[in-house]
Amino acid sequence: MSAQERETANVGAGLWKGIGMWAWILFRISGLVLAAYLFVHVWVISQGRVGGADRLNSFFGFFDKPFLVFLDSVLVAAVLYHALNGVRIILMDFGIGIQRHKAMFWICMLVAIAVLWAFAYKAIPFIF
Amino acid sequence: MRTETLDRSRGGMWPWLGQRVTAVIIIVTIMVHLVLTHFVAIGQLSYANIGERLATTAVLVNDVLLLVAVTFHALNGVRMVVLDWGLSGKGMRRGFDAFLWVVGILGVTYGIWALWVWVS
Repeated sequence: MSAQERETANVGAGLWKGIGMWAWILFRISGLVLAAYLFVHVWVISQGRVGGADRLNSFFGFFDKPFLVFLDSVLVAAVLYHALNGVRIILMDFGIGIQRHKAMFWICMLVAIAVLWAFAYKAIPFIF
Repeated sequence: MRTETLDRSRGGMWPWLGQRVTAVIIIVTIMVHLVLTHFVAIGQLSYANIGERLATTAVLVNDVLLLVAVTFHALNGVRMVVLDWGLSGKGMRRGFDAFLWVVGILGVTYGIWALWVWVS
């Protein structure tokens, strides 16, 4: 086996330990949380039709609490983590970054953090 | 390697492709959705404000596209988790797939029905 082949052969095994494994676990957890949120979100917004404007506005009034705005930012973080780790997976499907998947992971996380910072900057006045 | 990821018991080729196509659609549409709600209209969330936003056809198309893509993506994601835990037999897998299609179609229909109060 050449050095090149040996390096490639090890890639699969490398995904199941260290950063690759944690990236995968967090990807699954964020995916399941977002899937659950999707149905809650559709149900809440549908109250505008089911119960009218007053009922939907009373829901929005209930959500207007610092802690719930904070949870909303956590949700944005979950979306960004899932999206950027997903981008990394799709790039790897095209063969991009397989050799340097750890570096790719941290580059994707830097992008996620930068976008999250922009959203947090807007949300912070509603949290504190 | 190829058969390992694309084998039917592992989800099949079309759902695998569908998951990636919807992922790309979601990244674009969810950013539009989040920028409009968390940047442009932050702190003004109300029934009336949603109506103002959905009055723009492009926003309505964006949100409906997001709803369809994200419902497929979420349910196929749940399906992948369940398949990893193991679903015994072809019949069970087909039954579960049929169940997820019913949930997805009902969910999307309900979501569009709910949004239409602002459209009509």
